[in-house]
Amino acid sequence: MSKVEKIKLLKKRYKAERRFKFYGILSVCLAILFLFILIINIFSKGSGAFFKTEILLNIKFDEKKLGLNINSSDKEIQEANFEEILKDALLVLAPKVPELKQAELIDMVSIDAALEVKKFYFYNKGVLNKIAEVPLTLSDDLDQVYKGNFPRDIPEERRRFSDFQLKIFDDQISKNKIVYKFNWSFLTNADSREPELAGVASSLAGSFFTILVCLILSFPIGILAAIYLEEFAPKNKITEIIEVNVNNLAAVPSIVFGLLGLGVFLNYFYLPRSTPLVGGMVLALMTLPRIIIPCRAALKAVPPSIREGALALGASKVQTVMHNVVPLAMPGTLSGTIIGLSQALGETAPLLLIGMIAFINVVPATPIDPSAVLPVQVYLWSESAERGFVEKTSATIIILIFFLIIMNSFAIYLRNKFERKWS
Amino acid sequence: MNEKIKISTRNLSVFYGPKQALFDINLDLVENKVTALIGPSGCGKSTFIRCLNRMNDVIDLCKVEGSIKVDGKEINTKNTDVNLIRERIGMVFQKPNPFPKSIYDNVAYGPRIHGLAENQEILNTIVENSLKKAALWNEVKDRLNQPGTGLSGGQQQRLCIARAISINPEVILMDEPCSALDPIATAKIEELIDELKKSYTIVIVTHSMSQAARVSQNTGFFHLGKLIEFNLTEKIFKNPDNKMTQDYITGRFG
Repeated sequence: MSKVEKIKLLKKRYKAERRFKFYGILSVCLAILFLFILIINIFSKGSGAFFKTEILLNIKFDEKKLGLNINSSDKEIQEANFEEILKDALLVLAPKVPELKQAELIDMVSIDAALEVKKFYFYNKGVLNKIAEVPLTLSDDLDQVYKGNFPRDIPEERRRFSDFQLKIFDDQISKNKIVYKFNWSFLTNADSREPELAGVASSLAGSFFTILVCLILSFPIGILAAIYLEEFAPKNKITEIIEVNVNNLAAVPSIVFGLLGLGVFLNYFYLPRSTPLVGGMVLALMTLPRIIIPCRAALKAVPPSIREGALALGASKVQTVMHNVVPLAMPGTLSGTIIGLSQALGETAPLLLIGMIAFINVVPATPIDPSAVLPVQVYLWSESAERGFVEKTSATIIILIFFLIIMNSFAIYLRNKFERKWS
Repeated sequence: MNEKIKISTRNLSVFYGPKQALFDINLDLVENKVTALIGPSGCGKSTFIRCLNRMNDVIDLCKVEGSIKVDGKEINTKNTDVNLIRERIGMVFQKPNPFPKSIYDNVAYGPRIHGLAENQEILNTIVENSLKKAALWNEVKDRLNQPGTGLSGGQQQRLCIARAISINPEVILMDEPCSALDPIATAKIEELIDELKKSYTIVIVTHSMSQAARVSQNTGFFHLGKLIEFNLTEKIFKNPDNKMTQDYITGRFG
């Protein structure tokens, strides 16, 4: 080969290298771009749900209308009717309106506004017979108008709010009576049919209990199975078949586990439907192979010299494994477990089959109370027609992603912190 | 000669599946002497010493046939408690393999699992004495709580020796203990072996002819799974009976 040819060949090789680098960078950029678009989309849609609009209403706590006096017991307050004073206060916003429009006025605040007035009175009993400024949740429609999600310029008959409501609303804005603040009730309320009242507390608690049950079941079973298979089981046909099937189990579509849960846990053992207990059991089945596989890999990665060292000292097999091998495999096992659990946290399909799709408007207190979970909540709200649920859907996804990121970061932290460098 | 035989093997054969690795080995190990085993790679030296503390049991396909007697008592039976055998016959491996624990815990592990120390004070004494015997005490006495894996290679190997002697075994098997070490660390280990033979019977597998000549009193030459020659070290290196031994120690093959 002549010198010129050699230089040509060399140039060609460098060119190929540059081309390869370019394709690599391009694909990384594309992946990041898609992720970025997804996150921007979710955040721009969902961030609104973390804020809400309230109207500051001057309410006269008339003791005659309430039927209360300064010495009334909590029970009497509980039973008192606050609707009337609320209605009076709303009517003040637009005096002398015809009867027909009064209903529209009342519709401007949330359906639970009277309850909010009651709650306010409960903590401020001194306001009896006085006028107090009470912040009340606005109806979802006006909330959406304020956030700019509802266009104002379409014909009235195609809107969910009337010109009359809009006029009063703008009037109140100009009087600084409309406040926009952080929506704590989104985090503390249970699910509701009213978008302005709906919150994720019930599905958060449901997810917590479900993952807890899943962890309690799958972690010890998974670890013991992995240790036995890796360290103690004789290597023969049976263990080989088990190994193949554990791997197969990890590849089974999750909805199949849901069918199994429905058929066995609900219809055969009659465990309570729609509960985190059953949900956790189903997810534990799904998570088991996802714990066994990384745990076995972590055990395999422990150098045999450690086992020999302990055995040569006269340690029994169990002592060798428990004292020296398992502690070294723990970081890998734990990070595998956390990743398995975070997959379980995002799982929807199997839970639909065991009835965790029910509408739950109370926060579950135990794992045997019916409840929903975060991904199912996303699914439920995404099907709702009200505009308010659109942003709540995205906001729930934000919360879900937040927990997933926390769990995965913890897994990475564990892996890096306890990673052993073998000599 | 007033020599006591510590371990003797008769017709010892080892099979890895269908492959035979050792053929009818008859060998006597003398108490408080260093016996060196030399031979080319794959000749079965390591397989042989792993029989002596039944470490070959760990390997699934491995089958050991023949007789191994320790103090005249047969140990190659199904009923023999391997944990007790390994407590009496310690082992140091080719690559230093300290546990990923502190230096202290590395040495204290053996006494702990065998219940040799009733209280912390006795355990401290055992750890200190073991490290002193392994000539490591002065280097690590101020950092017993640091991980054993943080020591240098030579120190790690001495830590492994301290670990092996912490349970006061009768025999120490060393499987090429210096192959991963530099010459200075090797010299230290060799010095140590010389010291240790006063209290223990030592078997050392080595690739270094000079090491065998320096540290051992008896030497066995293995080739292709057979014990070719076994004699006093001096005799083996100066005037071997077998032509093959002669060729090997003069570097003509292997």
